[in-house]
Formats: sequence, structure tokens, C-alpha cells
Amino acid sequence: MSHSTVVTAEPKENVWIGGRSPFNLSYGKIMMWAFLLSDALTFGALLISYGTTRFFSAVWPDPNEVFKAFPFFEGQNLPLLFVSLMTFILIMSSVTMVLAVHAGHCGDKKSVAKWLLWTIIGGVCFLACQAWEWTHLYGECGGLWGAFTDPNTPVEKFHHFFNHHNAGHVLETAPIVAMQSTHNFFNYFFTITGFHGGHVTSGVIFNILILVNTVNGVYERRGHYEMVEKIGLYWHFVDLVWVFVFTCFYLL
Amino acid sequence: MSAHHGSNDIQHLYEGDQSKLYSGVLAHHHDINSSESKSQVKKIWKVFWLLLVITVVEVMMGMFFSHSIPKGVINFLFLALTILKAGYIVSIFMHLGDEVKGFISTVLIPLVLFVWFIIAFLADGFFWLRMNNSTPTRAQIEAPAKHAK
Repeated sequence: MSHSTVVTAEPKENVWIGGRSPFNLSYGKIMMWAFLLSDALTFGALLISYGTTRFFSAVWPDPNEVFKAFPFFEGQNLPLLFVSLMTFILIMSSVTMVLAVHAGHCGDKKSVAKWLLWTIIGGVCFLACQAWEWTHLYGECGGLWGAFTDPNTPVEKFHHFFNHHNAGHVLETAPIVAMQSTHNFFNYFFTITGFHGGHVTSGVIFNILILVNTVNGVYERRGHYEMVEKIGLYWHFVDLVWVFVFTCFYLL
Repeated sequence: MSAHHGSNDIQHLYEGDQSKLYSGVLAHHHDINSSESKSQVKKIWKVFWLLLVITVVEVMMGMFFSHSIPKGVINFLFLALTILKAGYIVSIFMHLGDEVKGFISTVLIPLVLFVWFIIAFLADGFFWLRMNNSTPTRAQIEAPAKHAK
């Protein structure tokens, strides 16, 4: 190393000899990151399994055909609009969460409570959207998991999920192949968005708990709002997973 | 838990002691109306608009160009934009960008597993589709295509 560049630098202090956190982070936050890493691997396994199934399927339902409904606009062709709204709500709630964390850094109890409340509202709106989408697809499929297992299912039950330009030929000559893909598609869809929705639900519950604690002044007495940061990490992770779910199910 | 501890004593054991171990963001509270605070809030909103614009671009691509642009190109763009969004969320919203270098590596290096994971599994699915010509359904798909040639 050349002397001219680092003469003023202090000798490098060894942070690994104890007495302080080498990562400059509390145990709780490091453990939250460790949990999120393991959760990322779980979601990754689900999404990659979905991808593998898709790769070995000759045809696959077209998201533009499956997801084209919007509440109060029945029968209109509005591909991807509803899921865009859901994505917007989740990104928005991520912003309000990071603003709550920021207010926590400043020790501003009132702002923390305000932004947490907005985050909870965003989470509940997202869940409401998901409930509507599931209900709609329940109507379309005649069930959630395993609605397409009977080989005698008429092709009319599932041909509208496909883009006929790409899959019309298979629908005509080997409808059972298309039915098998429909079966896989919806099983993965309900499993993965359900698992994600479960995360959103628990995130909303955590947010309500820390909102109660904030309003009661628990963190003010403790001297810091680290719990808001930890739950914030979890909430952002849920948003992060949605980014990938959105790409895998609705775009690709 | 020993019964003679009040709840505040227990809280101290869980949360209080650790603050001596690190000098991170918790150590220095700053005023929410300070210019430093305001510039951070500005950055948060900037990232929000970026994420929103990227999402709108993705949806537009999905709606209008998914059949006109070659599938490979559009999928590559979707994945690139997804990774970009993920990067913003992790680095700015989750503040990973503000942590020490060692911690960033600790979080990111295990994710390299995904590279192998994705390649191995997708390749297997791809291989299976082309390998398995023994099933009647597979034959049914291929047959008319051969007739056409």
C-alpha cells in the first residue's frame, strides 16, 4: 500500500476482540437479519420450484388472461391493473414504515405512532385486495387448491386462462396438458401468495403491537425505538418478497 | 424469570445493556426538524418515486409489449428491473447500505446460493420437458408440429 494515501489514517482497530459489536449492531437486529435470510431461502425455494414446474410445462396460463379483473368493473378486460394497485399499496406502506423508523431515530413518539398507523392501514388494504382476488379466482376456478384434477374436466373450464395465440394448438389437441398446467399454476399461486399473505398478516399484528407500545410510551422509557426498526426490517422484507412474487406470477 | 424483578429490570437486561456494545444510529438521537433529518426523509420519498416509476414501466411492458418484444429480451428486462427494485428496498429502506461492510457481506454472500439454485433447478425443468418424449401427451403435442413440416 502506498504511504501517500493512508498516512493520516488511524491504525486499524481490531473489533473482534470482544467488548463491542463488530457489526455495530444489536443482537436483536442481527438475529432479525438472520431470520430474514432463512425466510428468503424459503420463499426462494417456493418460487424456484414454481419456475421449475413452469419450465417443464409445454404451455402455461397467461397472466394477462388470468389477472384481468377489477372490483366493480366486472367483465372488462383490465390486465394487471388490480395487481398494480396492490403493489402500489405495499410500496406505499413500506415508505410509511421507513418514515416510522426514521421518526424513531429522532425519538419523536407522535410521528412514530402516526406512521405506524398508516403502515397498518396499508397492510390491511393489501390484505383486503388479496382477499378479493382470491375470492374472484375461487369463482373462476371453482375452488382454490386442486380444482383441476379431474381428467374429464371440459376444456371450457380453463381455456380462458391461456393465450390462444401460443397455446391454442395444445388446447385443441391435448387439453389435458393445459389442464395439468392450470392445476400447477393455481396450486403454486395460492400457496405462494398465501404464504406471503400470511407474512403480511403477522406483520400487521406486529405493527399493531408496537403501535400500542409506542402510544403507551414503552420505547420512550426504554430510550430507543429499536423494536420499530426490527419490525420495520420484517415489513420491508415482506415488500421485497412481493416484488419477486409480482415478477414471477404477473409479469414473466 | 426471577419473580422479584420488575418488568423494567427485565427490559433493561434485554435491551439496555446492549447499547453499550454498539454506537449505531440509536446512540445519537437527532431532531426531526434538523436539516439532516429532512434530507433523509427526502431520500426516502425519492426512492418511493423511483420504485413507483419502475413498477409502472414493468406493468406497461407487461400490458403492451409482452407479445411484440422477443420473450427472452422482455424477461431479461423484467428480471433486471426486479433486481433493481430489490436493491433499492434493501439498501435504502432496510438501511443495509448504511451498515458496516462486514455485515453487508454477511447478509449478501449466502444469497449467492440462489445463483446455483436457480440455474440447477430451471435447467432440470427445461431438460425434463425435452427429454420426456415417452408420455402420450408429449407425443400428442409434437405430432402435429411434425406433420406441418
